[in-house]
Amino acid sequence: MIVLAYQFDWRVVTDRWPQFVAGAWVDLWVAVVGFALACAIGLVNALLRTSGMRALSVPSFLYVQVMRGVPLYVMLVWIYFGVANITGITFTSFQAIIITLALTGSGYTTEIFRAGLSAIDRGQMEAARSIGLSRARTYGHVVLPQAFRIVVPPLGNTFVGLLKGATIMSVIAVPDMVFLANELNVTLFTPFEVFAAVAGILVVLVLFFSALVYMLERRLRIA
Amino acid sequence: MTALLLAYSYDWSVIPRSAAFLERGLLVTIRIALLSVAFSLVLGLVVALIRMVPGPIGLIGFLYIQVFRALSLYVYILFIYFGIAAAIGLNLDPIPAGVVSLTLLNSAYMAEIYRSAIQAIDPGQREAARSLGLGGIGTFVTVVFPQAWRIALPSLVNQFTDIIKDSSVVALIGVPDLMYQTIERVSFYHRPFEFYTTVAGIYLVMVVIVAQLASRLERRLQRHLA
Repeated sequence: MIVLAYQFDWRVVTDRWPQFVAGAWVDLWVAVVGFALACAIGLVNALLRTSGMRALSVPSFLYVQVMRGVPLYVMLVWIYFGVANITGITFTSFQAIIITLALTGSGYTTEIFRAGLSAIDRGQMEAARSIGLSRARTYGHVVLPQAFRIVVPPLGNTFVGLLKGATIMSVIAVPDMVFLANELNVTLFTPFEVFAAVAGILVVLVLFFSALVYMLERRLRIA
Repeated sequence: MTALLLAYSYDWSVIPRSAAFLERGLLVTIRIALLSVAFSLVLGLVVALIRMVPGPIGLIGFLYIQVFRALSLYVYILFIYFGIAAAIGLNLDPIPAGVVSLTLLNSAYMAEIYRSAIQAIDPGQREAARSLGLGGIGTFVTVVFPQAWRIALPSLVNQFTDIIKDSSVVALIGVPDLMYQTIERVSFYHRPFEFYTTVAGIYLVMVVIVAQLASRLERRLQRHLA
């Protein structure tokens, strides 16, 4: 049955615009923190993976498969309800979503760093070693700076993915913009306006960061 | 703290006792994922073709891809199931709402996969077909697309893994999928760790199988191309 009786009332959104911005800010900073952790884990994991030692590279490989194969939503409730239940460690909902994004994201960042590291010609490493640089300094001064140019664009795309994924956080009651929209919908019954606002904000954020990644990609391209 | 740690006794027997529920949910998940992948394969190709038309029509395809990729599945589902449904007075069922959401999101990704595959085909192929007297459509259907399909297929299959994973979110609007059944069983037995670990494992197995299929296809198709 189709009833065209819906009364649009955009004041629901415009009157509360600061709250929507504050909610979007929560999505953004949670995604940024999760992404930063994902990069740190990913870099370490990629170094293990490319170490050439099976005892290190096999667990690292399995880690990537698991992190990329488990849905974000499942990971979130696993950490927030499951792990909390067996260990007695109760994460705050903020911690739970940040850990989830870091773990899921690290599955992707590991692969990106691995590809970046293995794209550097072995000769570079050998040359640096033969002029007397230590292993650590070879990585720090020669390999990583070159790999950095290669990994930045795909890492940017991973960040955009995590930003989108972060919007699931309202299911564990983190007060982000989706949480706000859900609350307004329940109390005022204005589903179209509030969810359109959330969708609009997310599109703007994602397109902004995608454009940034695109520009970085062009700038870092090795001519 | 240690006391709490030791206090937990696992009870995995709740899993086999819930097997019938999980199986029912798994079938719903598979059905939704297959429907969504089928629709997005078709819609993605249409969008890719629109995108490659020069001028304002191509711009529509471009905007579709940019905007429809930019939303998360959760926001899609809320907007479509609650927002659009209320605005047009339509009583949408959760399953169609989930399938539509998954299709819109993934068709945008697939459009880009199709486009890069079609652009990877040497223009000489098209020119040769045209100069043999094939029409524009005939050239695309018999010459360009069969080759582009081979390039695109592994990535398209990989996209299927994202559909399977994302589909878990449809549980939030009450689709009785694998995740929904799991959440129900969790509240029945109060065993979140056992259930969520199991369901994570089930999703992981599905994703690994599909990803394996993709890499096998890739090797096989490359052999034919070489």
